[in-house]
Order: sequence, then C-alpha cells, then structure tokens
Amino acid sequence: MHALLKNALLGTAALVLVGSSTAMAQVNLTSNVATVALTATKAATLTVSTDVASATLANITDNSTANQFTPVSLTTDWNLTAGSSVRMIGWFATPAQALVNGTDLIPSSKVEGRVGATPFAAFSNGPVGTVGVAGGSLQLFSQAVAAGSYFGTRTDQLDLRLNLTGTTTMAGNYTGTLNLQAIVQ
Amino acid sequence: MGSRRFGLSFALGAFLALGAKELFGQARIISLAATSPADLSLVITSGAIQTIAGVTDNAVNNFPSPVVIQTTWSVNPGQTNTVNLVAYFLVPAQALVGGTTQIPSSRVLARMSTGLPTTFTAITQNAFAGVGTAGGSLRLYSVNIGGSNKNSSRTDNLDLRLNLVGFPTLRAGSYTGVLNLRVITQ
Repeated sequence: MHALLKNALLGTAALVLVGSSTAMAQVNLTSNVATVALTATKAATLTVSTDVASATLANITDNSTANQFTPVSLTTDWNLTAGSSVRMIGWFATPAQALVNGTDLIPSSKVEGRVGATPFAAFSNGPVGTVGVAGGSLQLFSQAVAAGSYFGTRTDQLDLRLNLTGTTTMAGNYTGTLNLQAIVQ
Repeated sequence: MGSRRFGLSFALGAFLALGAKELFGQARIISLAATSPADLSLVITSGAIQTIAGVTDNAVNNFPSPVVIQTTWSVNPGQTNTVNLVAYFLVPAQALVGGTTQIPSSRVLARMSTGLPTTFTAITQNAFAGVGTAGGSLRLYSVNIGGSNKNSSRTDNLDLRLNLVGFPTLRAGSYTGVLNLRVITQ
C-alpha cells in the first residue's frame, strides 16, 4: 500500500514537472524571423531656374555693342549618380530669327551671352550632346562634378546683349525666347 | 515422451499461477505524459520585396503593395495569454541605407488595419518582450489566446510608407533596408 502511494506521488510529481517545463517553453516562445526587403530609389535630377521670366533692353543702339539686357540670375541644381560635368547651354530654336519684329529679324549670331567674367560670345555654336540647335547655341558654363560633388548647386549672373556692330535695325519691338538647359556629360 | 511434456507444462503452469500474485503485488504506476510542443510560424505570402522606383523629397512615399503576413500557432491557452507580432529594424538610425544619407526608422511608417497601428505609425517603439530593438520596433497585433483559438492562424496586410516631409533632400541613388517580422507569445 505504501509502495502504491509512493509510486502515485512520484507519478504526480513527474506530471507537474513535465507541465512546468512546457509552461516555461510557451512563455516568450518566438517564431522564425520573416523579412521584408525594402528598396527606395531617388532618381537623379538636374534643374535650372531663373529669377525673372524676361530680360529687357529698353533702347536699341544701332552699330554698337552697348545693348545689354537686364541681367538674369540663373540657378542650377543637380543631384546625380554619375557624370563628369554639368554644362549649361543657351539656345534659340530658330537661329535666323532669334528676335523678331514682324519681318525684321535679328539672328542669334548677333545675340551674345556670358556667365561671370567670361567674354561675351555669340549664340552661334552647335548643340552640346542633345541640347541646343546647330548655329544657335552657346555653352555658358561647364561645372566639373565627381562622386563628392554629385549633389550641388550654383547661381550665376547671365548677361545678354545685342552686338549690332555694322547693323542698323528698323524701329520697333523685337522679341524672342532664349532657352536655357543643362546637361550632364 | 508424452508424460514428460505434460510434467513440464504442469510445472510451468504452477509457477505462473504461483507468481501471479507476486507480480500483482509489485505493480508500478506509470505516469504517462505526451506533450505536443507549442508552435509559432510566420510566412509572408506576398509583398516580401517592396520597391519605390521614384522617391519624392519632402513628401509621403507609399510602398506599392501590402505585405501579406500569415501567422499560424498552436499553443496551450493555460500557458499562453497572447500571441504578438513585432516589426523591427536592427539599426533604427539606418532603416534604409544609401550612399551618404540614411533613412531612420522614424521615417518608415507602418499600418495594419486588422492590428494595433490602424493608422500609419512610425516604427519607433521599443522592443516587445525581447523581440525588436529600442526605438526601432512596432507591435503590429496582439491576440488573446483561449480555448477557441489555441490552434489557429490569421492573415494580415501590412502597409508601408516613407514619410520624407521635412527630411533633407535625398541624394540620388538607391536606399535599401530589411524589415524584420517576428511573433512572440506572452
């Protein structure tokens, strides 16, 4: 009888022990780790902005270079992943008709531009890469970039003038559109 | 030969008959315990790879599709009160890593409409019961366990987004990270 009681107690104790070990196993039981791969890509950007939408020349002087438009502040921002230079190109869509006054035309070869202290040059070059048109373009600056400077900005004063040396114009308002576009090369 | 066999059988029978009482007297109680181990498993059935092709600065950027999470458990309700799902980044300051700029977990928001963060919430909580990291975790749901759901499963959609409002302009390039998901019982 004692043996029976002893064995019963041992069995009960064993059950309690088994139960408690199971309880410990189920507290803070963790699953496998599942993962979600996240990728977000920021595209490269290159933007050009100006402080004004128009530049004016109130009074044209024939046969002179003293025909400077009001200056334009030109800001270029870039956020790149590759390339060696950022180049700014100014261009007229139709070089023979850079400025138009009815049937009177001023070609792009008589419109000159410069950035900073560089000499004035005519908008009569070819395109740079895919930017610009033949005979109506001018590279205004070339900014070297590298891995350490792929994120940057610069602001320049763009000066524009008409070089009417040897030219007489008909009275009237001459209007035109100069396009400004940057390219990474 | 026949009498010899009979004699042997008789002797064996007598021994067994005599021994039967002795065996009964030495009986042992054998306690039987069969334990089915608790089980927790977590499977992402879709959306394990999330990509934003074109991130917009100073804006909220949603990842395109939900992460569909299936959790299955088999637990003892007497020993388990809750089943909890936790999302976390190992390095909260660098949830998504780029070339020069890192996106912290405070800019990664999660929502589980069937769980606890029913609106988009930054993954900035502390670890839960040892699962997760300080400042880089978010508990997604907590299920009370009873007899009716001790063996059960559930499927949830986890929506993710980047909140870059007011964040410095990101450098161009790819930002990658890993969001960990783990279930724990309490």
